[in-house]
Amino acid sequence: MEEMLAIFIASTLRLAMPLMLAASGELVSERAGVLNLSLEGMMLTAAFFGALGSWASGNPYLGVACAILASVVVSAVQAWLSVNLRANQLVVGIGFNILALGATTLLYRIIFGGLSREEIPGLPKLAVKGLSDLPFAGTAFFQQSVIVYVGLGLIVLIWAMLNHTSFGLAVRAVGDEPRSADKAGIPVNATRWKAVLITGFMAGFAGAFISIADIHTFTENMTNGAGYLALAAVIFGGWNVGRTIAACLLFGAATALQFQLPAMGINVPTAFLLMLPYLLALLAVAGVVGRLEPPTSLTLPFQRGK
Amino acid sequence: MTDRRRLLGMAVPFIAVVGSMIAGLLLIALSGKDVPDAIEAFMDGAFGSAFAIGASINRAVALSLVGLGFILAFRANLTNVGGEGQIAVGGIAATALGLWPPIAGLPLGLAVIIPLLGGILAGAFWGGIAGFMKVRFGTNEVISTLLLGFVALLSVYWCVQSTALLRQPQTSSATLPESLPIADAAKLPSLTGNSESPLHIGLVICLLLAIATAIVLQRSTFGLRLRAIGLNELAARRAGMPGGILLVAALAMAGAFGGLAGAIMLQGEQYYLKAGFSSGYGFDGLVVGLLSRGSTVGVLAGALFFGFLRSGGISMEIMAQVPAALTLVIQGLIVIAVAGSVILVEKLQGGR
Repeated sequence: MEEMLAIFIASTLRLAMPLMLAASGELVSERAGVLNLSLEGMMLTAAFFGALGSWASGNPYLGVACAILASVVVSAVQAWLSVNLRANQLVVGIGFNILALGATTLLYRIIFGGLSREEIPGLPKLAVKGLSDLPFAGTAFFQQSVIVYVGLGLIVLIWAMLNHTSFGLAVRAVGDEPRSADKAGIPVNATRWKAVLITGFMAGFAGAFISIADIHTFTENMTNGAGYLALAAVIFGGWNVGRTIAACLLFGAATALQFQLPAMGINVPTAFLLMLPYLLALLAVAGVVGRLEPPTSLTLPFQRGK
Repeated sequence: MTDRRRLLGMAVPFIAVVGSMIAGLLLIALSGKDVPDAIEAFMDGAFGSAFAIGASINRAVALSLVGLGFILAFRANLTNVGGEGQIAVGGIAATALGLWPPIAGLPLGLAVIIPLLGGILAGAFWGGIAGFMKVRFGTNEVISTLLLGFVALLSVYWCVQSTALLRQPQTSSATLPESLPIADAAKLPSLTGNSESPLHIGLVICLLLAIATAIVLQRSTFGLRLRAIGLNELAARRAGMPGGILLVAALAMAGAFGGLAGAIMLQGEQYYLKAGFSSGYGFDGLVVGLLSRGSTVGVLAGALFFGFLRSGGISMEIMAQVPAALTLVIQGLIVIAVAGSVILVEKLQGGR
């Protein structure tokens, strides 16, 4: 039983990881007033280019770099459209997601051909010396891929940046009161640009985690809605880092049940378990945890003097 | 001046479509495939035979319906991204009713009509949930319709996995996770009487609904109220309009159109339910709605374009080995180009 619980915690952490990375990145951007519905597309693009880079170079770390680069490029185009061209952020996001699905599927078919399941060089699991052999906690926490530990560090950095730096203050100012921020001399659009690029960076990490660290191959549409779950987690978390991470862990746990319950001999329809994270997300965005206030200027482009 | 503005408004989707098609051709060339071959395969699959044309128009019917629902809700400034899920629940309802023996025996075409109505109601319910969440909890409808979409798609999967629901009786381990085919009486009648062409009366239903939608949007109080609430919700409420009910109604109607599309796809061509039967029509229909800029004629034109594009794309994949995902790339580029050029167009139109 204890062993089962340890495995359950480990797989919760593993499944929540891409959500946590993407959601904490998206959080920065939303606090600055830009919503990236394209999060799903960024992650899928990253998963593909990560797999491609890792496969072509034989080096998974180069793969991670490719993933991040690809996702940052997508986020730069998104920033240009949302911030400078003042396009409808929701519509642009939908467009990016369609494009990312089409482009990654197309390139995958052209490069890897048909339905190959070719394994790519993945990141090693890092057994933390002295800790991985601990009973219970060893299995639960200390036998994860390197990227998990790096990712957790990045999330802490984002928390610290948002709450304890002047850049974090600027981000929150341009998301809530862009006009006042502008008058106080904060460059609104530049701050938003940086925030969206941070989202791209984190989404790249998340995509790399899925293809390089977790599955060790690319499959068509492999993110399969993880980006939308991450967006829901941000709402569920009330635009607060700690609560967003908690929401991601909850979605991760719901997903982990798919493997855990059958293993424990509990018979629940697979379809229901597959549905569970989305149902939870729906309840979350419906505000069962209380009505949550988004940043005041979320999705509203800024133009001086208007 | 207004003529120039209207012309510019139409020019943008047109330029976006042409530009994206050219990008598509470049991609085919870059991937080392033979471009003339690919074009020939495309034309053949889209227009090559009575079957191809009928199948393309049937596709366009489903896309138009989703697109019409989209522009109805969009008039109230609501973006319905849940077409895919609404098609899915419509398909489930139509299958369940189409498989139910008492209904297959009904006279006067009721065996066809009742499953269609079931699809409409299921879709309206699914869209209505998002409307209710919007009004009651302030949930952004983009997120809620997307998440509801995932739940709906997995519901189809559930229905065809479980014999207690809609899965056909399992006679061997090779029994596919699909429903039984619906009763013949529940299938949509052919429009042409030609057994070569799959074209069915969905086309007539679609055209009638397009006219109705145009009238509702342009000539009815309801259409005016949708626009008022879309432009300024607070002002509309102050003017005494039932804001909440209007918003729920708008999303429920969008959902009803999606549900009908699902029922028509099922009763018109597919005849049995299987996982993933909605195969992206909801998202294509959304693109159609976005491109139409709120015009009913625009929806029909866009749906025809994407209907033929999809048929041609499938044929390209089979005959010229060009992945059909190319059509997704083209669609994504179109959406981004149209959305990104809004400010540019406003400037050219002389600002607001």
